[in-house]
Amino acid sequence: MNECQRWKAIQALRRARPRAHFVCASALAFALLVAWAWLTGGFLASAFGTGSAERLARFARELEPHALRDRDFDLGAALAWFAERAHTVGLAASANTLALAVAATALAALLAWPASFFAARTLATAEPFLANPRPATELARLAWRTLRASVRTAFVLLRAIPEYVLAFLAVALLGPLAWALVLGLALHNAGILGRLGAEMLEGAPPRAAAALRQAGATRAQIACAALAPQSATRFLLLLFYRGETCLREATVLGMVALPSLGYGLAQARARLFYDEMLFFIACSALLVLAGDLFSTWIRARLGATRRGSCA
Amino acid sequence: MRDAQASARGRAPSASFWLATFLAVAALLAAARLELFATLHALGNVEGELLARFAAAAFTPALEYESSVPAGTMPLYWKVLEGLRATLGFALAGLSLALLFGLPLGVLCARSTWRSEARGAFSTAARALWFASRALAVGLRSVHELLWAALFLAALGASPLAAAVALALPYAGTLAKVFSELLDEADERAVRALEHGGAARWQSFVAARLPGALPDLTVYAFYRFECALRSAAVLGFFGVPTLGLYIAQAFENQHLRELWTYLYALLLLVLAAERWSGALRRRLSA
Repeated sequence: MNECQRWKAIQALRRARPRAHFVCASALAFALLVAWAWLTGGFLASAFGTGSAERLARFARELEPHALRDRDFDLGAALAWFAERAHTVGLAASANTLALAVAATALAALLAWPASFFAARTLATAEPFLANPRPATELARLAWRTLRASVRTAFVLLRAIPEYVLAFLAVALLGPLAWALVLGLALHNAGILGRLGAEMLEGAPPRAAAALRQAGATRAQIACAALAPQSATRFLLLLFYRGETCLREATVLGMVALPSLGYGLAQARARLFYDEMLFFIACSALLVLAGDLFSTWIRARLGATRRGSCA
Repeated sequence: MRDAQASARGRAPSASFWLATFLAVAALLAAARLELFATLHALGNVEGELLARFAAAAFTPALEYESSVPAGTMPLYWKVLEGLRATLGFALAGLSLALLFGLPLGVLCARSTWRSEARGAFSTAARALWFASRALAVGLRSVHELLWAALFLAALGASPLAAAVALALPYAGTLAKVFSELLDEADERAVRALEHGGAARWQSFVAARLPGALPDLTVYAFYRFECALRSAAVLGFFGVPTLGLYIAQAFENQHLRELWTYLYALLLLVLAAERWSGALRRRLSA
């Protein structure tokens, strides 16, 4: 084979390579959108807001704890200040924030796990796992399809609305109760857990379920005896992974007079107490870090893969 | 039969049993701390009138302003479009910045960047760099974007760039973490083949590891785009002019039908992005 023929053969192979037109078009569209955002968003025109130099100087000055200003900087004194603040407000606020996250995660699990069985294509169907000897009626098919679609739509809607917005609306409707924040966090996460849970049930090995079905088990019996135990551990892992995100989100929920980190931050922000703001942000970072470490440790012990989907 | 029962009794409970128990106890403690049981009855005392108005407004979202506005105000549909534009713009600006920093940081955070089959273990300097980049990624991620926004808006004033950077920082940390895991999980065979054939580390990275992981990286980046849209909307509650700001203002003025208009707009935007990234995921993940 001479050089020219070889080149032609390579070109022919190149032309015949599989190409992902949709993917390329998506990448191009995304790049164009990014260019559009930067060109029209006014990001570069106003790198700094109004009165910037003055504001920045004041910000930098007041970032230093109030008690320590007009003195030489002393790390020991700064740490002592931090410890004192942590003792008076920080620990209680962190505990409340943690409680918000834990309660919301648990509530989300209580809502999502049972609901996910009604969203799984393998189970929530007129003929689960095996062909029915007496084929299901059109009506039964339609009923199951409608039920599954409505549960799935509910999941989609819940996860499309950010938890902060849900919490805001819940506070607006319920009044300033801790329940509102818990519900806001829990509903959004129930949407996510529901979808992931349903995917997990659909991916579960079907042997046990099919055997039960063969032996005449009902849909509920299959769910309780095969699918629930099969998926419990993985659902728990999912829960820990969502718990990390819940904790992160819980640090910003401050619309209720519950002394949480978000509430402290909102107060400090309203009064322009920058040192106090920094204190609450530091507490949030430490809490989130501790939560991440704990959850990573647990998941490693249960032998999970580390990748989840939403942060 | 009796043997089976005995062995079932003797079996130690599984790790997931303990985990579930732990979680249940933690949830009860949390509920007690927040007095959730004591205030359960308050959920029933919701102002029925407000709830009814809110629910009714869901079926009749506003198409025009609910109160009279000064002459020359842009029409409501234009305001909705403006909110959508701003939300999309902040999300894209933040995410593009995050990708710009997150991808290199992700490469630095990947174990495989520093250690390969062919070349043996970490050197001390490599270990230090690896650790420093991981610490940076984790630190960026542990502060929520709203908290970064609170800091930047206080320091720089209400500038669009401050909001975009606030969004970009934690997103860069998250991207770096997940990208590094995806790079580590990429197929080793092509990498090993190149390195055994004498390719330098950077050559095997560019020619084998990166292309191998690219589909997964793309899918995850698009997934983060959905998240960025939600985050950009929420930045509105801190004064950035995205849909969240309009939602908060509409509620303050008790314009519940307008509020639903903005909510529906946000919903449509996020659902469209989800459709897009879902279509991409189906094509890219094997």
